[in-house]
Amino acid sequence: MDRILVLSVFVVASCGLAYELIAGALTSYLLGDSVLQFSSIIGCYLFAMGVGSHLSKYVKEERTLAAFVEIELLVGLIGGLSATVLFLVFAWASAPFRSVMYALVFCIGVLVGMEIPLVMRVMNARQAEFKELVSRVLTFDYLGALAVSLLFPLVLAPKLGMARTGLLFGVLNAAVAMWTCWAFRRDIPQLAGKLGRAGLVLLALLTAFAFSDKLTTLAEKGLFGDDVIHAETTRYQRMVVTRWHDDLRLYLNGNLQFSSRDEHRYHEALVHPVLASLPWAKRVLVLGGGDGLALREILRYPNIEHVTLVDLDPAMTTLFSTAPMLTALNKGSLKDKRATVVNADAAQWLEGNAETFDAIIIDFPDPTNFALGKLYSVPMYRLVQRHLAEHGLAVVQSTSPYFAPKSYWCIDATLREVGFNTWPYHAYVPSFGEWGFILFSKTPNYQPPEHYALPMRFLDADSTRLMFQFPADMRRVQVEPNRLNSQSLVHYFEEDWHNVLR
Amino acid sequence: MKRRDFLLLSAGMLAGCTLPPRLAIHRYAPGMAEGHALRDRKALPAPSAELHTDVLILGSGIAGLTAGWRLAQQGYQDFLLLSGPEPHGNASAAHLAGTDCPRGAHYLPIPGMAATQVRELLAEMGVIERGAGTPAPYYDERSLVHAPEERLYQNGQWHSGLLQPGNADENAQIKRFFALVDQLKQKRGSDGKRIFEIPSALASQDPQWRALDRITFDAWLDREGYTSPQLRWYLDYACRDDFGATSARTSAWAGLHYFCSRDGRAANADNDAVLTWPGGLNPLARYMQQRIGAARALPGLAARVSERQGKVETLVWQPQQQRMLRIHARRVICAMPLHVAIHVVEGMGALGFDAQTHMPPHAPWLVSNFAFDHFPSEAHGVPLAWDNVVYGSRSLGYVVATHQLIRAARPEQTVFTAYHALADNTPEAARRWLQQASDDDLYQLAATDLAAVYGWKLWQNAAQVEITVRGHAMASPTPGFLSNTGLAALRACDGPIQFAHSDLSGFSIFEEAAWWGDAAARRILRA
Repeated sequence: MDRILVLSVFVVASCGLAYELIAGALTSYLLGDSVLQFSSIIGCYLFAMGVGSHLSKYVKEERTLAAFVEIELLVGLIGGLSATVLFLVFAWASAPFRSVMYALVFCIGVLVGMEIPLVMRVMNARQAEFKELVSRVLTFDYLGALAVSLLFPLVLAPKLGMARTGLLFGVLNAAVAMWTCWAFRRDIPQLAGKLGRAGLVLLALLTAFAFSDKLTTLAEKGLFGDDVIHAETTRYQRMVVTRWHDDLRLYLNGNLQFSSRDEHRYHEALVHPVLASLPWAKRVLVLGGGDGLALREILRYPNIEHVTLVDLDPAMTTLFSTAPMLTALNKGSLKDKRATVVNADAAQWLEGNAETFDAIIIDFPDPTNFALGKLYSVPMYRLVQRHLAEHGLAVVQSTSPYFAPKSYWCIDATLREVGFNTWPYHAYVPSFGEWGFILFSKTPNYQPPEHYALPMRFLDADSTRLMFQFPADMRRVQVEPNRLNSQSLVHYFEEDWHNVLR
Repeated sequence: MKRRDFLLLSAGMLAGCTLPPRLAIHRYAPGMAEGHALRDRKALPAPSAELHTDVLILGSGIAGLTAGWRLAQQGYQDFLLLSGPEPHGNASAAHLAGTDCPRGAHYLPIPGMAATQVRELLAEMGVIERGAGTPAPYYDERSLVHAPEERLYQNGQWHSGLLQPGNADENAQIKRFFALVDQLKQKRGSDGKRIFEIPSALASQDPQWRALDRITFDAWLDREGYTSPQLRWYLDYACRDDFGATSARTSAWAGLHYFCSRDGRAANADNDAVLTWPGGLNPLARYMQQRIGAARALPGLAARVSERQGKVETLVWQPQQQRMLRIHARRVICAMPLHVAIHVVEGMGALGFDAQTHMPPHAPWLVSNFAFDHFPSEAHGVPLAWDNVVYGSRSLGYVVATHQLIRAARPEQTVFTAYHALADNTPEAARRWLQQASDDDLYQLAATDLAAVYGWKLWQNAAQVEITVRGHAMASPTPGFLSNTGLAALRACDGPIQFAHSDLSGFSIFEEAAWWGDAAARRILRA
């Protein structure tokens, strides 16, 4: 009999550690900062176990076995489903994720904390000698922990993934409950009810196990379609990099920023109409573009002596200057000797800096909210004006003239309001659709390049000519410039995309 | 410690995280001690130095600064500007959590054609970029309030605008009221002047319209059948916000003036746009101060002003040097509020102003700057705006100091400035309450709206709060204020002592203060 109990201690201990490891790994995987995540989860878990051990004394002597069985079932259910639940919560909204995660860890901790004291009391009631009892229970407790600490990173996590590993241990907990029920069937009141419940829990866990692929797909891939190879919530945004075969994609706050399949189209169109026309240019400023892809194109020009790249998010520029797959894509541009990376809010940096640049490349996120809308406003372009050389050229990514015509022409109107001459153009980028840019300068004499000295994958004389022509379905519409008082651009952008997505 | 105690203690600590920890409260009552000492006729030390100047301006609020700005602009050399107990008065600012934030007035509506001196100032500063003399000048957008401008908290959600549509009858009333406002904006009296104008000195004297000053705004609204609770709350809010008095105590003329006088336009903003800066109106004050120059600025406060043989002798207490100065001037511009002037200027009665009958009521205010370590998370609806108002509240909402920054990401820290006019009581009773109120009492009142909106998140995010207590913040235009003969007498003073303050208009807005400051300077320049 005692052998059964000791074996169950082994299983119980391994399950307990497994839930803790799963929560820690999952959270650092989803939120980053693994040292913090692991420390806080282990702390919360151990504290909760302490609370559980304390609570165990309120279990009446005659109910210890029954309580042990009930607790096993609960741990199995909650612990087993924890990873799946966390995935789902995270997919829906990242805000309550931490609260749900700590609540789950605490619950599991309390329940696991009650297990060992209860087992010891059961054995104690069976007149086992105390020194024998303590030594055997704790030996198997620690052995179980050792087994899982090795199995988890080497076998379970890579082979089964988080969700199914959790479910597997849930099944083990439920199995211990059933086994105990059976082994002590004479000592347990209301046996049938307990066995029935154990059956239900096992059924629930096994069903979840069978469908867990579907569930995680729903949670993880359902968001982005592909495998997530990096996900991080920074102070400023949620950054996710996905991969499907050779296609790398970056999403910021759920919006696609580039796909490695066709980003060359976007970045060639963004950079070369400006720089191919400025053979004398030496100094370039990039606002936004922390992925280093526009920078890669700029650095192809030997005449460029220095590029300053101002991007808000240090996590972004760090990732794109260190992760091998991403530096392969941007050719290590962020680490180039000619490039200086500044992490600052673009307007703040422009306000506090007096340099002028021969070319300015502006690659901000779309104006989806009032804060981002300010980056496309009259005062913002006035700031840009102060930093642009008299005969320099600048370009701004300007949403889609096809899907968001009011937004696109609003940016054009805003630049004209400041006094710039503008040359709107567009290019087809398969993952975005027809995309728009606006080239602008203080002087009125710009001619789109008729040939490119550097080899291009997308641009040539013909495609460039077409870029600067607007067919009837993308003609200029009459709109107000984006003034800070009304922020018309944010309203136009909402209207435009509402019409597309309706 | 027993285990049980330990558990109890840690449970208590966990619970404690959700209870309000003590927030650092800093209470600031500019000029109170000095003003009360003057009122109580404390003995003045003998002057230890003498100074001579041609013109002396007493007070560095908007009226005093505008007078000095005009004199300096016109090349007038020989004048001094005395700071008073609080430099820049109601246009002063604090610096908390890395940002300027207002300690008083926080916005200026786009000035209309009549407010020429305000437009001139704005053009000189570069806030008006071009067309200062045209009906719709082009403004520097950085100073125009950025969208979203305002929002209203009602039924646990944020809505845009300060008036929510109600039932059909309510909406009809709201429409009728604003149609009337639009009509009255254009309306001219029998003398050809606009009925409601800013500055009010240029408004029509047509007795038919000035008769509105005989009743309260509430009485007028009742008479005209405006009963909608939404509309009435909004109009009462407007009176408390601009005049520090409820619509039950505000003159009907003043209540309508608030809405019907504003006719300013901008080429590049909506007509109802306002000008604002992180430090409220302080940049305007700082600009004028800088134009006046450090050499003409004198710290200290006037303790006694007396006319002696056609000249003026002023005793000035300089707390830093701990000395009393005697300043001889040919002319003095008394740019201090009248409740102070009556204790400082000798012979106000002889000038036609009797403190007992002519003193306008001065409303007490709290201006509270809550410094936040993080922006609190928001309830559903419209995102954080510049001005955030709670429907049905007896407080006046809060403005966000960092709203005007051009930033893609919110700054780490910010300041929310909460306004509260103690208008539910007579000013005297409210001041008595303020005298004995503890810091906690003040805090409860100051945080009314923020606590309603953010609840416990306020405790979590706010780091400190500075409560500026203004016992006599502004004159309230109660019925009869237009026919106050004492104020009329002071407005006409053109002797060695003259007056310049928004109190002369009977209500406190930037344009009125600027008007009287400018008028005083012009009288001196003309002489």
